[in-house]
Amino acid sequence: MGHRDLIDVCGLNSHYSGRQVLFDIRFGIPDTNITVIMGVSGCGKTTLLRHLIGLKRTRPEQIMVDGQDLGKFNEEEMRNYRRRLGVLFQSGALFNSMTVSQNIAVPLKVHTRLSDETIRIMALIKLNLLGLAEFGAFMPSQLSGGMRKRAGLARALAMDPEILFVDEPSSGLDPITAAGLDRLILELRDTLGMTIIVVTHELESAFRIADRLIVMDRGCILAAGSPDEIRASQNERVLQFLERKADTAEINTAGYLSRIMGNEITRSGR
Amino acid sequence: MTRLVQSLGAATLDQLAHLGRMGLFLVYMIRGIVKPPGKFWSVIKQIHFIGTKSFFVIGFTAAFTGMVLGLQGYYTLSKFGSEGLLGSGVALSLIRELGPVLSALMVTGRAGSAICAEIGIMRIDEQIDALECMAIDPYSYLITPKLLAGLVCLPLLTAYCDVVGIFGGYLVGVDLLGVSPGAYLSGVENSVVWKDVYMGMVKSLGFAVLMIWICTYKGFYAGVDDGNFGPEQVGRATTNAVVLSSVSILAADYVVTSILL
Ligand SMILES: Nc1ncnc2c1ncn2[C@@H]1O[C@H](COP(=O)(O)OP(=O)(O)OP(=O)(O)O)[C@@H](O)[C@H]1O
Ligand SMILES: [Mg+2]
Repeated sequence: MGHRDLIDVCGLNSHYSGRQVLFDIRFGIPDTNITVIMGVSGCGKTTLLRHLIGLKRTRPEQIMVDGQDLGKFNEEEMRNYRRRLGVLFQSGALFNSMTVSQNIAVPLKVHTRLSDETIRIMALIKLNLLGLAEFGAFMPSQLSGGMRKRAGLARALAMDPEILFVDEPSSGLDPITAAGLDRLILELRDTLGMTIIVVTHELESAFRIADRLIVMDRGCILAAGSPDEIRASQNERVLQFLERKADTAEINTAGYLSRIMGNEITRSGR
Repeated sequence: MTRLVQSLGAATLDQLAHLGRMGLFLVYMIRGIVKPPGKFWSVIKQIHFIGTKSFFVIGFTAAFTGMVLGLQGYYTLSKFGSEGLLGSGVALSLIRELGPVLSALMVTGRAGSAICAEIGIMRIDEQIDALECMAIDPYSYLITPKLLAGLVCLPLLTAYCDVVGIFGGYLVGVDLLGVSPGAYLSGVENSVVWKDVYMGMVKSLGFAVLMIWICTYKGFYAGVDDGNFGPEQVGRATTNAVVLSSVSILAADYVVTSILL
């Protein structure tokens, strides 16, 4: 598509206390594109995102940002990188001691010298963008799950970031609001030239917004490419995912038995 | 045998790593004083929080402690016929020891636990991660204002505790047991010197750092070691924080007293 890769993931491995959850992940994130990451629950999408935003330690030479090694960033470089980011967390992660507008005002207050009045108006604009204009004075606990997500997105957009990461923006949203969110994401790419990385389960929405799709399974990448390429994929798991078929019960009697027996043995051994 | 040594070594290394992390936390917390963002209003807010949480409970504790001191002091002193020393006895024990220690313990129980829970909830709900992703230093933004507020509040609360306690002693000693008011008050005036007040203030400042450090640290790392960010982790962190702060305050009290006395 003629875009350079803003972020290059080249062989990312990830562990949680010894257990490996990501295996040699490789893909590029082109700039001013929407990259959608899909995959069954627990396959490591959020973990991948946490590496990309520097919240989980990455070993050197596994993620490159603008040709620089994210694993070797010092504090200053990490801060500069993060000032270019907007992140929507899976849980929303709103500050629960502040109202929604105060939440959106936090990055503006810390990073700019704008007057309180200007900040108030900017927060209102972002709220309006996400259809939450009336809810600025609400506390996060007074919002519904979907509203919390949208408020989190409003906060992620507060500084007009260059790169936007969103973890499941439309889970818990009705089709109409979800479609509105898709349109917003497309607009952000087209009008502001944002680079956007979306994690989602919603197939329809994924195919509607994606420039590039990445399908993950059990910590590996199954397929990557344009929506058309993914649709044409012959990979069994990809097809299963696209056709929303449940896993056929794996016939692994030996493993199952040994798991049960293992429990038995440890119990009687006590 | 080698297994034993191995596990012992591993446990030691683990503890050392924890201590190192705690030390680093203190450094970041103090470094936050000179780092942006500005924290005037957040410090004011925290002072309000710590103050309102602890004001009544400290007044209550101080009043009864002063009254008990008056009662016990009177009966002990009257054996030697020196009831006139009651005022100085009550004032000295409050200003040097009980004032700082009781205030610090009460602030730990009321505000310290709440601070730990607040930060712990922010940790398990990814709010601290969100701060980091906004390129906001969580130490400077969240922790340092609490430290500064603690440093302002605790000496003031200690002074308040001392005054209320001395009047509690007055109430029992003078109004109830008949010590002469002049003897009580002049006892306070003559026996308390600047050094005693200084000692009390040094203690309360030290306890403030200790308490805020431990409570925020425990909240900040709630669930991090287990990699489990469930709500029960906040409860556990809060309990640990209160116990550890209280014990450290008592231990530190002994150390400071032995150095300054
Ligand atoms: N803090 C943690 N400690 C230990 N293991 C973890 C932790 N967080 C995630 N995991 C494990 O890592 C794997 C990937 O989890 P992750 O949260 O990345 O999945 P996900 O693809 O985002 O799932 P979902 O779609 O349900 O959000 C899972 O097997 C999970 O058990
Ligand atoms: Mg996830």
